[in-house]
Parts: sequence; C-alpha cells; structure tokens
Amino acid sequence: MEFAFSEDQDLLRSSTRRFLDDRDALRELRSTLEAPEVVDRHLWQKGGELGWTSMLIPPDHGGGSVSTQPLVDLVVLGEELGRVLHPGPFVPTNVVADVITRHGTEAQRAEWLSGLAQGSVLAAWCASADGSIEMGECGVALTETPEGSALNGVARFVHGATVADVLLVLATTQTGAAYFLVPTTSPGLSLRTQGTLDLTRRFAEVTFNQVPVALDQMLTGPAIAVHQRAVDVATVLQSAEAVGAADHLFDATVAYLSVRTQFGRTIASFQAIKHRLANLLVVREGMRAATHFAALALSDGFDDAPAAVSTAGSYVPDGFARICGESLQLHGGIGFTWEHDVHLFVRRAFTNKGLYGDPGWHRERLCAIEAVA
Amino acid sequence: MDVTVPELPDRYETFTAELRAFIAAHRPALQWKQRAGLRVPEHEADVQALRNWVRALDDAGYRLKRFSLDETDPYEQRIITRELGRAGVPYILGNPLVSGALKAFGTEDQQRHYLAPMARGDHIWTQLFSEPDAGSDLASLGTTARLEGDQYIVNGQKVWSTWAQWADYGYLLARTEPVSGPRGISAFILDMHAPGVDVRPLREMTGTTDFNEVFLNDVVIPVSNLIGTAGNGWVAAQTSLLTEREGVGGGSGTVTDGLVDLARSHRRRGRAAIEDDAVRQELGALVARARIFSALGYRVATKAAAGTIDAWDAPLTKIWYSELNLEVAEFALALQGNRGALVEGDLGAFEDGKWQDRFLYARALTIAGGSNEIMRNVIAERGLGLPREPRGEK
Repeated sequence: MEFAFSEDQDLLRSSTRRFLDDRDALRELRSTLEAPEVVDRHLWQKGGELGWTSMLIPPDHGGGSVSTQPLVDLVVLGEELGRVLHPGPFVPTNVVADVITRHGTEAQRAEWLSGLAQGSVLAAWCASADGSIEMGECGVALTETPEGSALNGVARFVHGATVADVLLVLATTQTGAAYFLVPTTSPGLSLRTQGTLDLTRRFAEVTFNQVPVALDQMLTGPAIAVHQRAVDVATVLQSAEAVGAADHLFDATVAYLSVRTQFGRTIASFQAIKHRLANLLVVREGMRAATHFAALALSDGFDDAPAAVSTAGSYVPDGFARICGESLQLHGGIGFTWEHDVHLFVRRAFTNKGLYGDPGWHRERLCAIEAVA
Repeated sequence: MDVTVPELPDRYETFTAELRAFIAAHRPALQWKQRAGLRVPEHEADVQALRNWVRALDDAGYRLKRFSLDETDPYEQRIITRELGRAGVPYILGNPLVSGALKAFGTEDQQRHYLAPMARGDHIWTQLFSEPDAGSDLASLGTTARLEGDQYIVNGQKVWSTWAQWADYGYLLARTEPVSGPRGISAFILDMHAPGVDVRPLREMTGTTDFNEVFLNDVVIPVSNLIGTAGNGWVAAQTSLLTEREGVGGGSGTVTDGLVDLARSHRRRGRAAIEDDAVRQELGALVARARIFSALGYRVATKAAAGTIDAWDAPLTKIWYSELNLEVAEFALALQGNRGALVEGDLGAFEDGKWQDRFLYARALTIAGGSNEIMRNVIAERGLGLPREPRGEK
C-alpha cells in the first residue's frame, strides 16, 4: 500500500509551484479582481507546457501523463493551482478534454485535443440553466429549422466561457439529451459575465440564439454517461483545488495567529484558539484523504468509484467553506478588509458549494448507493 | 498511489483452513451478552471459558505479534487477526497495554516471565494509571511507591481500570521520586492478588460494569517488578498510550453498518424513514465520514511504513472515529423514533436495545484514552507547534 504521491508526482508539484511562486500568482490575481477578465491566455499556455491540461489526453493527440493514474497527477496540479486561487479554467478544460478523449469522434479528437493539451485552446462546460448538474435543468434545446439544426436557450455559471474557444454543451433534442461541441465563434452565441461572489474566477451566462450546429458536432455515447463522467472528474478536480486552497489558508492562519499578540501573549497560545485550529486541521486532513481516495478510485475504476467521488463531493465543499469562514473569524478585523486575501478564499469556497453537484446532491447519491449495497 | 494490500500467497490456504477448523472446534459458548466496545465478562465461568479458549489458541501456535519476542510472519498475523475478529469472541483478555512497555523497557527476565502467560490467557492484566484527581493531567498522579530495602510500599487509589475485577497483574504508575510532574513517576508490575489490593467494580452509565476502582493500601512490590528505571514511568506510559490511541480509533471502516436497515425498518411521517429527504441527507453525510475514516487509515498506514507519521495522526484518528461513532449512535436512536428510548429487556426494543447500549457506550470513547480535548491540545501543541498550556499553581 502506497497511499501517497510518487516521486515523479512530487516533481510535477514542485515545477508548478515554482512557476506560480516566481510570479507571486496570488498577488498578480489581486490586480484583476475587478477586471472583466482574469485569465491570461499567454500564461495559461505556459501552464499547458507544465501539463495542466495534458494528463487526460492520449499521447497521439499531444497529451501525456506523469503516471498511469492521470487523475491523480491532476490532483497534484489542482492542489497547487488551488493554493493561489488560480483563476484559470483548470476544471472545465480538463473535463472537456476527458470527454472528447472518451466520447469524441476521430475528427473531433483531431480538431480539439492537441490545442487543449498545449494550452492554446481553452474550453468551458455548459451544463444547465441554473449552474446545477441536474440534467432536468438543461436550458438549451436543439431545434430543427428549414436552414438546418440550431441550438437555442441559455446556460449559466459557465466557468471560463469568457476566454473559451470551445463549449461542451448539453442540449435537449427530440430523441433525448445530447452533448455538442460548439466553437465560441459560432454565430448567434452571446455571453454576459455574471457578477459573482467569487472574484477570482469569471462565470458567464451563455445565450444560444439560433446557433447553427451540425451532426458531426455531437459527441458519441449516451449523454447521461458523458454527463456522469464529467461530474465525477469535475468533482475530483474541484476538490483538489479546495484542498490546496485550504492548505494555504490554514497555514497562513496558523502563522498569523502565532505572531499576533494580545493581552501580552500570542493569540495562538489561547486554548480556545488552539482547539479551533485543531478542529480545522481535522477537517483539512479529511478533505485531503477524501480527495486522494476519490482520484485513485476513479482513476483505477474501483467498483466504489461513484461512492468515493461523492464522499469527496459531500465533505470537501463544506469543509473548505468551514476552514475559510473560521480562518476569517480568527484573523479578526484585518480579515474583514478588502486588502487581506482571506475574503477571496471565503468567496471562492461559498461559490464552490453549488458547482459540479452541491454536497446535498452527493449525499443523496451516496445514500442511494448505500441503500442498494 | 494505491491501497492494495499484498494478496495472501497460496501457501497460506492450509494455515487459514486449519485456523478456521480450530476456531469452529474451540470457540467458547458464553453466557455473557456481548456488546459493542471493550467490554468485560460478568461471570467467572465465562472468564474461565475465555482463558481456556485463549490458551488453546496459543498452544496451537496462534500467537499475536504484540506478545511475541520472536519474529512473526506478517501474513499469518493478518490471517489470525482477521479470523479471530470474525469469530466474535474476545481473543485478548484484559488490557495488554503493558506488553509494549515490557518489550521496550523490561528486563529479559520480565519479558520471559510475563509475555507468554499474557498471550496464553494465564495472566490477565489491567492498567492502573488514572486516579480520581489525575485524569487528563495524568502526570499529577498522587499514588506513591516508597522504597524500603528491596521493596516498594504502594499507597493510593486508581480508577477506570478495565478488567481489574478479573486481573492477575496490574500495569501501575506510581510516584517514587521526590519531584512533582512526570519525572517523579515509575512503572511497575503489580500482583493484583497481593494483600492490600482492593478492587471495587464501577457501574457505568451503560448499566454494565466494564471498569473498576482499585484501592492500594500498603501493597508490597519487589524492586524486581520495576519496569525500566525509577523515574522512567512516564516515558514508558507515553509509549504504550500512543499504541492504545491508535487502537481506540482502529475499528473497521464500517461504523455506519446497519443504518440503512434501521432507516428501512422504521417509519417517519407516514412512510419508511429511508424515503425521507432529511434522513437521506444525514445518512449520506455519515457514510461519507465513515468512508473518509478508511481513507485516513490508508494514509496513516502508508506514513507509518515510511516512518513519516505526524504528531497529529493518532489524535486526529481518535477524534474522527469517536465523534463519528457517537453521532452514528445518536442518529440510530433518532431513526427509531420513540422506540429509540426502549432499552434491552423491553419487549419493543429494536434488536434488544443494541443501539441504545452503543449510544451510551459511545460516551466512553470520546473520553477514554485521552479525552478529545486533550487530543486537540496534542494536535495543536505537538502537531502544529503552538505554545503549551501553562500549568496552574497547585
């Protein structure tokens, strides 16, 4: 049993950490908090060179992973990107890369995968009208017109749509749900950036107004299988980002409380504070164990992979939100200022709760699995 | 990354089959109703039956690593603990915490004289650590051992001693040195049948008697029963307590087993509880935490093998398990509605009050082996390196 990362994965971690630290990525992010766009395509392409989007793509399409467990490799990267609240579309781009790899036609794979692997092509995932993963909330429909097929409707909370080149779009059709690949240059497609609690990422409302689509833009395989796989991958990757972010914020909180002095002693010496930190450490290690096991189970196709993923989906978002909320409280007044980073973590954590399956959705799934076991 | 445990080589098939046959032939029938947790038999006859069973196991060559001075085969150990665990009757009698201390600090004579009889069930041991005024602050214990010639004279009162009512020997901590705090403490082997040892069973909130008070009045201990050197008792105890902490949290990852059945067989608001959304949410959350407990176990095992254990690992595991176990029991009672208030002996009690007993006993696990508050101190102070709690004046 080696429930730990390999040396190669440790190297992968250090190369990305060095890249982000050299730029002081979190500081860089601060200058864009209120800007219309937060993702620098040039920098994203540098990330492509570091493997941020190549792991789930086969080598003959320019991809490649560090180990035989590409999802575990991605967890390493997700943790590092999470530490600096990286704004990039790490989750959706990898989800789309995975879906095209598994369910794309040969032509689709040839068209998109190498660009995604290099980081020169960015992708986003339009799952529903309310940003949930309920297929019943799909807000886009395929309609037949005399001129051909077209997509009409709306998708919301689409992370990265504002910089994406291609959208993975769930749509209802007369014969059931289907997934399409839609270039963002398609006519009839418009975007509105949503004003969100999270200042470190951009989410868009994507409107489809007679967006023409051809049959060869449809992915193969039942939409429900594509959808479930996308949810599982997204849950693991978002969990990894949360673990990294929680690590950073927790360490920063312990460090601050160890130097902040009141009543003639560091406030970290008060037992009321120490016990809260101990509780947060318990949560953080639980988040980590849940995320790593989910990545392993999904990567190796364990029988209990769905339960493992939903264990992370149930625990991690709430744990992350708790660590962020308590860290803010423990910082005291400084934590309430705009200049301090802690609110950026709080904002992200509470935004995460609804993305890629809220914890309640995952608990329901766990319960359903348990009840048939 | 993997969580695979090496498969048992084929050559162990015979070993497994023989052990299973042995268990089937020798497994004792007990009068005692078995309950969840580390519980103690009520009848002398059961204790004798258990001694016979453990002796037969040891005579047949099934000895646990913790009692063995020789190298043991890890595959055989795995089979032994798995098969004996399934047998559903105790195969370790008493509290064998002392075995680690004897191995680390005991003389060759002590090891030879005590380990094998402990393995055979000939010697049942108890632990004499806690005192009425020294619980979390164990280092302030007041029981004294006064050196007179080649013997110590012991006086004091101990509490929370599991199995003491049936014990032959006690693993005793007492103050020998004229200094306060941990450096004044020594560890001893105490003959529980010696004059001046008075064991008084303590009935707990469960209604059962799993712990005891032990009064020590001018009890004589030969110097040769000192474990390690005088003043080294605290170090010995820390070593063995850490093993116990791993043990307390070391249950299986199936702490939520049975909840689905409970939710199916009880009704809430006019339908099966399992169909209620609030029930499903809580059940899902508990299942997630039980699954994470297993994953934490994989991490700790990996770190232990690599020698990279963090100071927070053992206390974290203890907190995780004991608090989850309590919440599971509370939820199990809630699922039963008013029936949740019916206990063993009542005609209407579900599964003869199994969950009610577990609910009550769960309160022991958040306190025993270092209360969860002390565990939080350990995480903060030794794990995170935060300042130690100041000592008060005494």
